[in-house]
Amino acid sequence: MRAQSPRHSFFSHLQPYLLIAPTLILVLMFNVLPAIKTVTDSLHRPARGLNAAGKAPDYVGLQNFQDLFDESHYMGARFRRAFRNTIVFALATVVIGVPLGLLLALLLNHKQPLRGLWRFAVFYPSLLPLIGAASIWSFIFSDSIGLANAVLKSLGHPGLNWLGDRNLALLSVIIVNIWKQAGYFMIFFLAGLQHIPRDIYESASLDGASDLQQFASLTLPLLRRTLLFVIVISFIFAFQTVEQLQALGEGGPNDSANLLLYLIFQNISERRNWGYVNAMTIVLIGVVLTFTIANFLLFERDEGN
Amino acid sequence: MNHQIRVMILFTLLALFVSGAALAHDDIVIDFYFPSATANDAEGIFQRYADMFQEENPGITINSVFSGSYTDTRNTILTELQGGGAGPDVAVMLSIDLYSFAEEGYIVPAQTFIDAMADGGAYISDFFPALMANGIDEMGTVWSIPFQRSTPILYYNADLLAEAGYDSPPTNNAELVEIAQALTTDERDGLLVPVAGGFPIWMYQSFAIAYGQNIVSDDPTKVYFNTPEAVAAVEFVRSLGTDLGVGPAGGAAWGDTPVAFLAGQAAMIYHTTGNLSRILDGADFEVGVWYLPSGPAGEDGTGYGSPTGGGNLYIFDDGSKSKEELDAIWKWVLFLSSPEIQSDWGATTGYIASNATAWETEPLASRAMEYAQYGVARDQLQHADKEFSSYATITIQGIINKTLESILTGESEDAQAAMDAAQAQIDGILAEYK
Amino acid sequence: MRQIASVTKTVIAILFLIPLIFTLLVSLRPETEPVTKGNIFFGSELTFENYQRAFVIAPWSLHYINSIIFVAGVLLVQLVTVTGAAYAFARMRFLGRDLLLIVILLQLMIPSGVLLVQNFRMINTLGLFDTRIALMIPYWGSAFGVLLLRQTFREVPIELEEAARIDGANLAQVIRHVYVTNAIPAYLAFALVSVSTHWNEFLWPFIITRSEGIRPLTVGLNKLIKTTDQGAFYGQLMAGTLIVIAPLVILFLLFQRQFVESFARSGIR
Repeated sequence: MRAQSPRHSFFSHLQPYLLIAPTLILVLMFNVLPAIKTVTDSLHRPARGLNAAGKAPDYVGLQNFQDLFDESHYMGARFRRAFRNTIVFALATVVIGVPLGLLLALLLNHKQPLRGLWRFAVFYPSLLPLIGAASIWSFIFSDSIGLANAVLKSLGHPGLNWLGDRNLALLSVIIVNIWKQAGYFMIFFLAGLQHIPRDIYESASLDGASDLQQFASLTLPLLRRTLLFVIVISFIFAFQTVEQLQALGEGGPNDSANLLLYLIFQNISERRNWGYVNAMTIVLIGVVLTFTIANFLLFERDEGN
Repeated sequence: MNHQIRVMILFTLLALFVSGAALAHDDIVIDFYFPSATANDAEGIFQRYADMFQEENPGITINSVFSGSYTDTRNTILTELQGGGAGPDVAVMLSIDLYSFAEEGYIVPAQTFIDAMADGGAYISDFFPALMANGIDEMGTVWSIPFQRSTPILYYNADLLAEAGYDSPPTNNAELVEIAQALTTDERDGLLVPVAGGFPIWMYQSFAIAYGQNIVSDDPTKVYFNTPEAVAAVEFVRSLGTDLGVGPAGGAAWGDTPVAFLAGQAAMIYHTTGNLSRILDGADFEVGVWYLPSGPAGEDGTGYGSPTGGGNLYIFDDGSKSKEELDAIWKWVLFLSSPEIQSDWGATTGYIASNATAWETEPLASRAMEYAQYGVARDQLQHADKEFSSYATITIQGIINKTLESILTGESEDAQAAMDAAQAQIDGILAEYK
Repeated sequence: MRQIASVTKTVIAILFLIPLIFTLLVSLRPETEPVTKGNIFFGSELTFENYQRAFVIAPWSLHYINSIIFVAGVLLVQLVTVTGAAYAFARMRFLGRDLLLIVILLQLMIPSGVLLVQNFRMINTLGLFDTRIALMIPYWGSAFGVLLLRQTFREVPIELEEAARIDGANLAQVIRHVYVTNAIPAYLAFALVSVSTHWNEFLWPFIITRSEGIRPLTVGLNKLIKTTDQGAFYGQLMAGTLIVIAPLVILFLLFQRQFVESFARSGIR
């Protein structure tokens, strides 16, 4: 499918490489090489004890990983929680946030009065800096002076310690994330819906199919690619979004709402823990990589059909 | 072609930004990092100090950099230095950050500079001894100089106490509980102790001291976290939110506590003296301030007690700085810790001005005369003890914080067992330093 | 059905708007009157005090300019790098093409936030610490952009390129006049994603810059969040948050139709 003229000069062979070089070099510099360095660092442990500062790290094999999976180890206990929370957080975002985004898209797709305003109402959260969104919610969730409890108290409920209760803290963080992301997902679904020709609905209506039947038999299958795409990005996002924790309880009591990447961030400053930091990074990358590749394969197979 | 030209223009523009950032200077530039521990426009205040200093010391430029919370400040500086960056020349960091930076060889002791001073002894002895405790290592070397120091203190709504028939604040734990229970209503908490929000150790330490045993000593390889006193202290704090019912279960959040107090939704709170000015200025009721009530260790002074807190001035040098630069850096440290600046900073914020002379210097002298509350914070210092700090401070503090949170939120019902487990982890880490 | 839909719609919209409405209300309320005291909607008076104080705490106009330079600097370079790579992957055949594409796609799977320390070292090695370039450079390559445009370029009929070649167009001209021209909606969508992502960036700018002169808005906002010792100042915080978010929110309100449509036509589906 080469479209160039038949001159096969040296330069024309080089052309594609020159075109991709900037992107490739940048990705190598800021993603791939650091990741490789992380792998080797995860097999090492910084020198500890007095006068450890100038000493080279020791090779320890998989010891760092073993410690992470040892619950009696100080980092192992924290890792286990953060890992579990991250999975719950990601699944909740996908299972609740994505359908909500789809629902919003279906509600706001067709022409209606004030459509722009409705769309704005659900989309604006995704325009906020995560840290700004989190600061708004820190006010809502505040135990003694927050909005949520002011409302609950006016209804006769004693109020909830949203960020301070170990059973609620993760839920609070999930609520914020869904509020923040649902409108963003909606945009992708709106885009997907625009590609579905109107007339197929008209013929379906003539056949007497109800709205729900139309959704199940027409809309959903035609949106399949969009759905897969949104699930993938929502999952990847869920693993990367931690800045909100900076303003929302910093991981909750005893890590009950901590997420893996934030735990990594919390531990980057003390040298003795670098082995663990790198090992946790590898685990995090491993999960995202596995998930993304699995989906990529699904996509490609889908495209082949 | 067109497009290549545009790319070139773009790169030229970007190159300009970079060179603009790296403007050449003949002056000695001191990079000074500070945490925004105050909402009274700390940047404006530091700019004013820098202007005053530069006027007195031509040839030295102060570059003040806001670096986030205390935690952010510590983390960004460590990340910067570990990544091979230059880091600050002087920084305000928690007084307990000493070992984190000394272990890595990033900071130099202030002792060297003090020894070279003609009146170094007088300079140091003017600081309140309790505020020096965290800046001195086990060999007696002074590393850092007190700057914005504080202790936890009891704030009470004197109007509410008077309504309920109490004309003086509680002086021991039994009275504290009694008054707190009397003042608790559906709309109001009797007592808020901010142990939630990621950093319970500081407030907790005041109870441990009041129960007779601080969790830390002068030896940075020893921590006392599972003693009977330490266990009793945390069980008392937990009971405030459960059996005694004077505050929320699990404890109050740090940031919300003063707001609730100012709104009249909490009759008494434990909070930092660093908040004194905000509370005095913001309250529409009479604000009382008193020592933290004494615990079972006794009212002869041994049962009183609070840890010190707040930030010290640290000097950064990896051995590459010239004598000239170091002299300039020390001048800036001397300036910030001088009675004049300490007096101004203390009066503006409520931090405890850290040297005795500052209290006789304006504007603090008048402010303390007008508001007796400032003096209470200072006088409590005679009962104050060292804040938690050890080798591997960050990690060990993390273990203690997580354990306290799990006990306070009811996750670990058996406090002793949880603290024994934590102590074992801590001892394991500290064994590496012996 | 229609009624259920409009009730659902209204309920969700109200729930979603409550935080914004209360951000506004709290920002106009005296700091010493939290919503738990007195009327839940309004305090005893409307006040701009919080805005006045929020304005003093950070040089917002400087932060605005910095944020604009940051997102524009990222986007402009991205447009160049992404276009070249997308064309190569869409229309050229060369040794190792699939492998190289996978390498670039690794960017999507290895969150750069995770690599904070390593990337910090890289920036230091390059001598770029505390510069605008350091802020932007990790984002100059965009796997998302390459993927999006590659897809769009593939849908451009090959005959258009062949015709242009016959007219004597060189590679740069072909890319510009055939591909870029036919992919404007995709570029627009990409630009919107890029701008909104980087406008919100916090951790990286916070770690990699120290000079107020180049720090973006989010770092200024952090100042209001971290008033550590004094506790929370929600009025001031909400005022600051509104100062930061207002431009993007207003822009979206004005251009939401164009925004959604460009997304719809972008090939993201």
